[in-house]
Amino acid sequence: MLSAQERAHVAQVWDLIAGHEAAFGAELLLRLFTVYPSTKIYFKHLGVCPDEAQLLTHGQRVLQAVGVAVQHTDHLRAALSPLADLHAQVLRVDPANFPLLIQCFHVMLASHLQGEFTVQMQAAWDKFLTEVAMVLTEKYR
Amino acid sequence: MSFLSAEEKGLVNGLWGKVNVDEVGGEALGRLLVVYPWTQRFFQSFGDLSSADAIMSNSKVKAHGKKVLNSFSDGLKNIDDLKGAFAKLSELHCDKLHVDPENFRLLGNVLVCVLAHHFGHEFNPQVQAAFQKVVAGVASALAHRYH
Repeated sequence: MLSAQERAHVAQVWDLIAGHEAAFGAELLLRLFTVYPSTKIYFKHLGVCPDEAQLLTHGQRVLQAVGVAVQHTDHLRAALSPLADLHAQVLRVDPANFPLLIQCFHVMLASHLQGEFTVQMQAAWDKFLTEVAMVLTEKYR
Repeated sequence: MSFLSAEEKGLVNGLWGKVNVDEVGGEALGRLLVVYPWTQRFFQSFGDLSSADAIMSNSKVKAHGKKVLNSFSDGLKNIDDLKGAFAKLSELHCDKLHVDPENFRLLGNVLVCVLAHHFGHEFNPQVQAAFQKVVAGVASALAHRYH
């Protein structure tokens, strides 16, 4: 459960990302695949060495979904239900991978936004993304 | 067999040479305590940890962060034998400090975030990968003597 203050910080973070979903999404995936190569097994459809266009397309999709979550922080389960079904029935991404993605998200935001990405924003964003991950894996069993 | 490739060692040492170890230590520890508040359990004698601002400006947090990161920095000099380099500290964290090794992984991740903060675009995916490998190695070395 996010407090009002935390929701405000999440909105602040999203304001810095909105409009740049493709670019941020592509970098997020690139960091994920570079730092944690085992995560690539979930993206075989992007090929052995995904090119920039593929990363931008898929990255945008991921970040747009994050944007949906940001708009619905007080009813994440309802808002993310179709995605939760997808992850449970089709994608079946092992839950251990979500913290890896979250780490790459923080590092990406820190490197791009530097001083603008405050410790309070990181704390709220971490809590929020962890909740999103929980919702996405909740229907696994 | 080397823990890091020659290229990874280059990336790590190249960046580490520019790091203000004292400052980054305090920042990383502070961030750990703010983002993962349950880690405050180990620092109950540190005084005011009641808010993010209080934590980030707490002099005991800064001092301890400095100590931790200087140890980390010393360990980096023995990158090919991290288990040996951190053996005594591992025993200390198990026997005296009773720290769950998960905390080493959390602090390592936070340290990587702080480096990204400081170095901006220079902290590209390859540099991140090399440092994540290092912090994972240090965390593992610190957990190695637990029994």
